Amino acid sequence: MVEFALPKNSKVGKGRIFKAPAGSKKTKEFKVYRWSPDDGNNPVIDTYELDLTRVGPMVLDALIYIKNEVDQTLTFRRSCREGICGSCAMNIDGVNTLACLKPIEEVKKAVAIYPLPHMPVVKDLIPDLTAAYAQLRSIEPWLKSDTNPPPDAERRQSMEERSKLDGMWECILCFCCTTSCPSYWWNGDKYLGPATLLAAYRWIADSRDEYTGERLDALEDPLKLYACRTIMNCTQSCPKGLNPAEAIGKIKQLQLERKG
Amino acid sequence: MKDVRDASFVAQSSNGQLVRRPLSPHLGIYRLQLSMVLSGAYRMSGLACSLGTLLLVWWLVAAASGPKAFATVQYWVGNPIGLLVLFGWTLALVYHTVAGLRHLAWDAGYGFSKPVFNRNGIIIVVATVVLTLIIYGIGLSLWAGGASAATGG
Repeated sequence: MVEFALPKNSKVGKGRIFKAPAGSKKTKEFKVYRWSPDDGNNPVIDTYELDLTRVGPMVLDALIYIKNEVDQTLTFRRSCREGICGSCAMNIDGVNTLACLKPIEEVKKAVAIYPLPHMPVVKDLIPDLTAAYAQLRSIEPWLKSDTNPPPDAERRQSMEERSKLDGMWECILCFCCTTSCPSYWWNGDKYLGPATLLAAYRWIADSRDEYTGERLDALEDPLKLYACRTIMNCTQSCPKGLNPAEAIGKIKQLQLERKG
Repeated sequence: MKDVRDASFVAQSSNGQLVRRPLSPHLGIYRLQLSMVLSGAYRMSGLACSLGTLLLVWWLVAAASGPKAFATVQYWVGNPIGLLVLFGWTLALVYHTVAGLRHLAWDAGYGFSKPVFNRNGIIIVVATVVLTLIIYGIGLSLWAGGASAATGG
């Protein structure tokens, strides 16, 4: 359902302000969404004023600096710090991206940081992605084939067949795209969302997979697939520069072609 | 119907108490990008077109009912507020048509790359404004011409 206002327990209040130490040369404000299951309060925005001369170039560097030097209670996911693990996906300056790939310099004013949109919040910047992972599981994102591979070799693909997977195998499942999509916000219990549909098309397009028909059958549903309205937020936000909207478009085309 | 996502809003605090998780902010904090705004506008214009069609039906029914009923509709539609409504309807109709062409292209598999749809977005906005102004240029000049022909004879 479309809902413009947040539920009562989710309305965001004003939080604390952490000033930069006196004598800071180049300060910048970071406005960070905070919520803890332990204090019974609504979420708030805490403001951290940092001296950029002491912080690395990326937004993740700022978050790590806050956690190490200013406020140990700040909670967020991070791991590789080079855009390959997908852990630090969050909404920065209004757009979903990876904190480790987002230069602080790109944000003109104060840096607003929220968890991925329209998700249950575990704590601070950590959304609960359980439902999204379950949806990914539902499309069976692995090779399905009734034919045994050659006994002493791998399943062969031509260069051309392999190239069809480019732009899809690179997905790191950060769910920036899925949680940027208004269709997913309103119908995420049924609509699979761009990340899962991109993964679905990755296997549909794989020449080695023998379950293309079954995969398309499973997606032929008014909401699972067709809740995509080509809003394009997914492609706009993908931090890896992939194009989930196009993958969804291709699935829709295949559905049409099958019907003749 | 119950939303199955509700289950993931139930959590425990550190001392084991059941708490309800908040929903993270969405529409209120997401940066409005042209592609997203145009998608919303496509829906709104579709709605406006449907309402505009009711206006057309009213006008046709009045025309079939007789000169008095027709004059009433002409009065309401012909005054400045009515003209504004008509202009909005035309704008919605033109936008829905132009943006519909883009949706047709997407359905045919074209125009998915980011630079392309960002550029096309600007093009459909400009095309909508230009086409609407052309329609009104022609319409108003014909109207004025008709009016002067009627009075000046």
